[in-house]
Amino acid sequence: MSSIQIKNLTKQFKVLNRHEGLKGSIQDLFSRDYKTVTAVDNISMTVEQGEIVGYLGPNGAGKSTTIKMMTGVLEPTSGEIIVGDVVPYRNRTKLAQEIGVVFGQRSQLWWALPLIESFRILKDIYRISDENYNAMMDFYRTQVDIEPLLHKPVRQMSLGQRTLSDILAAFLHDPKIVFLDEPTIGLDVSMKAKIRTLIHALNQEKNTTVILTTHDMGDVDALCRRIVIIDKGKMLYDNDIAHLKGFFGSYRTLKVRMDGDLQAHAEEIRKEVDFSVSADEEWISILVDEEKEKVLDVLGRLQHTHNIRDMQLEEISTEEIIKKIYEEGVE
Amino acid sequence: MNLKKYLTLTRAGIIESLQFRLSAFIMVIGNMLYLIVVYFLWKAIYASVGNEPINGMSFYDTLIYLVLATALSGFMEMYTVWEMGRNIQSGKIVLDLLRPMEYRKYLFWSYSGSFVTQFFFTFLPTFIVVAVLTHGAIPLGINLLYFVISVVMAVSINYSIDFIVGTICIYTESIWGINIMKQVVVMLLSGATVPLAFFPETLRKVVSCLPFQSIYNAPLTLLLNGDPDPAYVLQTLGIQLLWVVVMLLAGKLFWRVSLRRITVNGG
Amino acid sequence: MHRSIGFYLRIYGKILVQDIKSKMSYRSDFIISTIGMICTNIAGFVSFWILFQNFPSVDGWSYYEMLFLYGFSLVSLTPVQCLFDNNWSLRIYVYSGDFIKYCFRPINLFFYYQSEIFDIKGLGQLAFGIGTIVYAWAKLGLPVTVLMILKMIVFLITASLIMIALQNAAAATCFWIQNSFYVLDLVFRFKDYAKYPITIFSPVFRFIFTFLMPIAFIAYYPSLVILRPDEIPLLSWLSPVIGLVFFFLSYKFWMYGAMKYSGTGS
Repeated sequence: MSSIQIKNLTKQFKVLNRHEGLKGSIQDLFSRDYKTVTAVDNISMTVEQGEIVGYLGPNGAGKSTTIKMMTGVLEPTSGEIIVGDVVPYRNRTKLAQEIGVVFGQRSQLWWALPLIESFRILKDIYRISDENYNAMMDFYRTQVDIEPLLHKPVRQMSLGQRTLSDILAAFLHDPKIVFLDEPTIGLDVSMKAKIRTLIHALNQEKNTTVILTTHDMGDVDALCRRIVIIDKGKMLYDNDIAHLKGFFGSYRTLKVRMDGDLQAHAEEIRKEVDFSVSADEEWISILVDEEKEKVLDVLGRLQHTHNIRDMQLEEISTEEIIKKIYEEGVE
Repeated sequence: MNLKKYLTLTRAGIIESLQFRLSAFIMVIGNMLYLIVVYFLWKAIYASVGNEPINGMSFYDTLIYLVLATALSGFMEMYTVWEMGRNIQSGKIVLDLLRPMEYRKYLFWSYSGSFVTQFFFTFLPTFIVVAVLTHGAIPLGINLLYFVISVVMAVSINYSIDFIVGTICIYTESIWGINIMKQVVVMLLSGATVPLAFFPETLRKVVSCLPFQSIYNAPLTLLLNGDPDPAYVLQTLGIQLLWVVVMLLAGKLFWRVSLRRITVNGG
Repeated sequence: MHRSIGFYLRIYGKILVQDIKSKMSYRSDFIISTIGMICTNIAGFVSFWILFQNFPSVDGWSYYEMLFLYGFSLVSLTPVQCLFDNNWSLRIYVYSGDFIKYCFRPINLFFYYQSEIFDIKGLGQLAFGIGTIVYAWAKLGLPVTVLMILKMIVFLITASLIMIALQNAAAATCFWIQNSFYVLDLVFRFKDYAKYPITIFSPVFRFIFTFLMPIAFIAYYPSLVILRPDEIPLLSWLSPVIGLVFFFLSYKFWMYGAMKYSGTGS
């Protein structure tokens, strides 16, 4: 059974052309001077029950607008959308029973209350039966060390603990679909791993559909088989990551190390080769398309002009693929 | 591209000034409403006693007194308790203590700029409106000088009280509770809500022994008296001066004693 | 999906109990704030008392009648203080974008938002107000019948809706304008003017305070039903309806703003 169906979904906003000054702001109150902005442009996709989909795109691409339409907060301008078995914006309250939402940095829990009390209130709000509630709590106990968290007010928690709690709260009523908006933002490496493991386990156990928006490709690599990429409201890609990697199969990352200012070197290399070049504290990375030029030829050329001390060769990373798609699109 | 940077700043400035104007506008409406309510209330009160002066105050006297008391309270409210409470709770106070300036002075002068704006935007317009509304019932003579001197001392006493109350925040986390108590006590016992002349005899005697009456009652009675008896003026200003010194010392002492708590607890 | 009133009451009760528990854990703050609130009420009463030491009556209203109005306004202003205090934070949630987090629960958005905060300090005001009413009632020699008390309760509750409505509407302006704090603060100050009989004002302001900023319905008009049973104006009888209508309109306005906002904010 498919869990989300979207067909030719479009959302346009009317934005007021603002005037300045006191007179301008009074004008704005009565103004009909609008311009139309298309935030989501003719998107279609189907998500099956139990899938984890990475929903990616640069800031302002239209991700959160799509999520808002899927959660029923926003009405589409045109197109069809069915989540669970309802039309979201017509049945917002009914849909809310079937979904869970987590924002990485905005806790939805009661700030002053211990976590367990928040859970009990949610139990009432979502009308979770004692049986299901206890079963879920038992399952949580097998997954994370939840006891020390339960009696701690949310405001005294670290960001990681809070995110963990929010995820647990979002899955508490056993929703069919959970929307996770940048769940690992601002967390340290071990907490990120913990949260990815938890999401994976919940998805496996409950067959919950997960829509994950993130800028962290670690999340995508750990959780998603399928990714959807949008930019400027248009869908750029919708398929398996493996497929995408095959698509970029002829790409290799050549990493070289040399003495001196790496940024300056990278700048020089950029003039010499036809590929994208970037530098961090240790390595200069060159993304080579072997259909155009073999890696060894590139390396050979560079050896004449630079004193290379070390080198590595890697497959293209998800991060680089996404970057490439943002920059150039998929042909 | 540099030009864009400056234009952004200009834009921000315009929006900011616009916001300021809107808030100022709403504040003026609020003050006007207050004025209207006070006017009608006291008019009705005086009408019920045949428009005779009560306790030496005519209808106009009372009106001027109450409206200017409100304008003055805009002056006096420096949010000292809030500022101190927040700084103490967040630990930012430690940074302030490192400044090469006494904390109480630093706090006072960093707020003092708004005395100027408050004077021109709130006090002066209110003063003029009331003077016109009461057909020049405010005597314009030497009393204005006394009033100004008295207000300066009132600001000092009020600040000292605020500083002492703010210091209490070192001992408790309840900023809201402490501040509301202070506000209520000061407003009532200083004669800001009801002129002290209306207080029953015994209560007035008690209140006149406290520092609060020097904040509102002293300057406003000096202003309303166009032909003052020099002895009375001297006495009023003398008592104010006494309180200025006493509260200043009390505030300094209390702060010094309490500061040990911060340095011991590490803020 | 339809949810019954019982369902909402149960949830509110649960949040309330937890909220009070957590506030109690900051005991000194709780005690000092409560004392502060009591001080405010005592000071308000003392200035009232001082005033009437000098004047036997105002505009035909005796000391005890004025006291009754004063108590009435205190009680009818309690619900807005206790139950709708979260309106003060609304603009902060809206600017920071955090407001969206309230939009995903399967219960009424307005209820869910307001239920988050219960300001227990307001209960002191309630006790003080009731005490004042009872005292004035006894001194005025008003009859104590079931019907009178029933009337009193109905009129108090509906009167309280007026201030709630004004505050809802003022808070909801933050969905459109930036300086909504000043609007809210301005409206909040109205409550101080509710305790005076409207007859002291000139006809123009009587009109304004009755129809434009309906603060006369917070205490004056509903009190007449008890205080002056022989000459009750139509507006007094209408005040429960007006309270309900204003509350409903303000609720709709609030929800309209919330929906509009969540549809645009990023």
